[in-house]
Amino acid sequence: MTRSALRRLAAATALTVICTFTADAQPAPRSEYEIKAAYLFTFGKFVDWPPRPARDESAVTICVLGADPFGPVLDATLAGATIRGRKVSWRRLTGPEDAAGCHIVFVSASEERRVSTIVPALNQLGALTVSDMPQFASHGGMIQFVTAASRVRFEINLLSAREAGLTVSSELLRVASAVRNGAGPGE
Amino acid sequence: MGRIGGRTRANGALLIAAMLLVSPDAANATDNDQNAPRLTELSLEQLGDIEVTTVSKRPEEVWRTAVAIHVITHEDIRRSGATSIPEVLRLAPGIEVARIDSDHWSIGVRGFGDQFSKSLLVLIDGRSIYTPLFAGMYWPAHDALLDDVDRIEVIRGPGGTIWGADAVSGVINIITKATAETHGALLSAGAGNIDRGTGALRYGGGNGRTFDYRVYGKGVNRGAEHHADGAAFDEWWTTQAGFRTDWTPGPGNTLTVQGDVSKGSHGQRVSVASLSPPAQVALDGSLHAVGVDVLARWQRDFTATRGFRLQAYVDRTSWLAPHFGEQRNTIDVDFLHHATLAARHTVTAGVGARVSPSRFIQQVPTLDFTPRVQTDSVYSGFAEDEMALVPEHLWLTVGSKIEHNNYTGVEVQPGARLLWAPRPGQSAWASVSRAVRTPSRIEDAIASTSYSTTTTVPIFLRVTGNPDFDAERTVAYEAGYRARVASQVYVDLAAFHNRHRGLGSFGLGSVTVEQTPLPVHAIVDVLYVNGVSGRSDGFELSPEWQPRGWWRLRGGYSYVRFDLANTPGSIDVNAVNRYAGSSPHHQVRLESRLNLPGGAEFDAAYRYVSALPAQKIEAYHTADSRVGWAVSPRIEVSLAGQNLLAPSHAEFGHNLPQPVGIARSVYVEVRWRRANP
Repeated sequence: MTRSALRRLAAATALTVICTFTADAQPAPRSEYEIKAAYLFTFGKFVDWPPRPARDESAVTICVLGADPFGPVLDATLAGATIRGRKVSWRRLTGPEDAAGCHIVFVSASEERRVSTIVPALNQLGALTVSDMPQFASHGGMIQFVTAASRVRFEINLLSAREAGLTVSSELLRVASAVRNGAGPGE
Repeated sequence: MGRIGGRTRANGALLIAAMLLVSPDAANATDNDQNAPRLTELSLEQLGDIEVTTVSKRPEEVWRTAVAIHVITHEDIRRSGATSIPEVLRLAPGIEVARIDSDHWSIGVRGFGDQFSKSLLVLIDGRSIYTPLFAGMYWPAHDALLDDVDRIEVIRGPGGTIWGADAVSGVINIITKATAETHGALLSAGAGNIDRGTGALRYGGGNGRTFDYRVYGKGVNRGAEHHADGAAFDEWWTTQAGFRTDWTPGPGNTLTVQGDVSKGSHGQRVSVASLSPPAQVALDGSLHAVGVDVLARWQRDFTATRGFRLQAYVDRTSWLAPHFGEQRNTIDVDFLHHATLAARHTVTAGVGARVSPSRFIQQVPTLDFTPRVQTDSVYSGFAEDEMALVPEHLWLTVGSKIEHNNYTGVEVQPGARLLWAPRPGQSAWASVSRAVRTPSRIEDAIASTSYSTTTTVPIFLRVTGNPDFDAERTVAYEAGYRARVASQVYVDLAAFHNRHRGLGSFGLGSVTVEQTPLPVHAIVDVLYVNGVSGRSDGFELSPEWQPRGWWRLRGGYSYVRFDLANTPGSIDVNAVNRYAGSSPHHQVRLESRLNLPGGAEFDAAYRYVSALPAQKIEAYHTADSRVGWAVSPRIEVSLAGQNLLAPSHAEFGHNLPQPVGIARSVYVEVRWRRANP
């Protein structure tokens, strides 16, 4: 590379960097799991859980089951958060048997093969089950994330939530892109 | 170190300086929206309106796969600044991409770099672009809108057990996004010194649940690379348009229909012999290519563990070059069923058929095929059982493909793979598999004459197809390890030992002296034979480190070595060197990706490729860089520079007297997108 070409490249780079810093800050696209982590928290505002002895009902416990797709994003999102005065705590699970203390369980797509056994077990515990694996809602999962047009939305299987004793606010149903009652296509 | 070293230091220093310059401020990147409310303060509706960058759909599959796989995500493609699929493949470890000239590449996996990328299977949404004409890829005729590509799965090592013959050294799976993810309008335009003009338009819509669609069109006009003699024979252009629809009448039931039409003109220089003087002339001209394809795929998942996929496509290609032409129609039907039986067994089985009639068009007397009209066919079946030996921790997969092709009859390609995942974020695997590359039309039926030398009379070599040419067979022993060694550090290591039998080389046929046409000349017949056997070994190491949420570093080192020999009877003294010396033994790649405040990105990549003695190519290193800026949520501008460390460098020799220099290039692109109301 010649000296003048180098200088031109350096100038172009510097110019771009300067432009960058003086430009008005635009909202950069968020990573998918930042939004999903925020959803997990926000769902907590719209659900009432049946009391369970194995669970600390003075807090809201959010759990991630399977290979964790959130990483530090989850910790950053939930640190210091509260829902209606209840402290939010969170942890990662190795199996559904550890989920007794959870209010919300995010089931990682890594568990797809076991979904038909995991979902009934979690529903039994009265936890809100959330996942982004395909067909989660038709397997009895309560909330399934659906990413379309670079936006994360969700579907609800209302029947599963009701059977597990959860009360879901109408606000959540209104925003959902589909509400299912049991298996089958959404309405 | 000589001048090259000095240059590299200067440029390397510049890149590092640029990174350091921006790093302290970039520390604020994650806080740049301090004024904006935290995500947890948003309403459900607001959350649903935020645009997200999606990561590869199922990254966990990599952890659960007992093959050396690398997934190039949409984000990787976008930030590489690459403008073609072959250039994107440089991102994967173990792949050797050498640009021969503006519109030709040699691509090899773990060695075996070759203009036709032999023994490598490439699929675009399940449609094979491997041509039986020369057992490889003609890259410039196959394209996709890079903005619509969801990911490219690059598998090193044999995939024959599942994908069948010709997936010997690797499989490249190009997968486009579902139409539910490409709603809205996208318009992009770019210009540069080599990529003179590119333009793309896409529009997608639908209800996001049961029916979605998109249509696209794109055009590329690319200039010549650097030629010492000034002959810009490799200018080219290509245009392509297509559509895709996804119809989901119910959960787990999707019908996809997609298709493309393309037309292009790809400049090239070919060497053509004539039996009367002049004995050999260089012909500059263009290959005119027209392609049409339509594919339908029905995917039915009854449960997460049981379902099937039925796919059929028709693909028509028509090529006309200065020295040859070919028309080919391919019809392919494929059925795949998977089911989990007795909890511990997941059985996948399938059948497929491909029929491909073709017609060779003779353009010069010294290049012909006998017969000119032929129908290639492959019928195959495969079955595979994944056994959970220890549930959630240890799996054994055994299976085989059995297929019948019109060249070598029945071929069996079994494989066994063991995967151990002691805990999340760590897995080790080992495998042994057998793969075959079936002969192509060239090896079976070509008659190609080239001028050799003149002693008392001119002597010509006539490469002749050999109906007895057998499949090339490889047995591969592989092992790998993946681990998340710290929360933000990831390492992937894969090693292989391949035993090759019957690789193609040339054997001596008869010598004849001919009187017509005058002058009197001698013709030495050279036959394709399976004359080379031996071993190849190597490994790929690919670490990844994300020191900050806004800064990601990746590396890659690939090593391959050959121990090949002529088998008795093979007289081709160059064959062994051609195999061993056409692929780099060492490749290094380093990448940095920075997200800056205000929606800006600064990306840089460095690569080193060791020498290719058989191609008379010296070792080289070079660097690419890209600056991208989201001017507004709708408009994104990027400036990409490629091959920045030298005005030009050669990457592959081909058959030309002088390799083409791959030039430094700069490219500006503007992208405008609009979401549907």
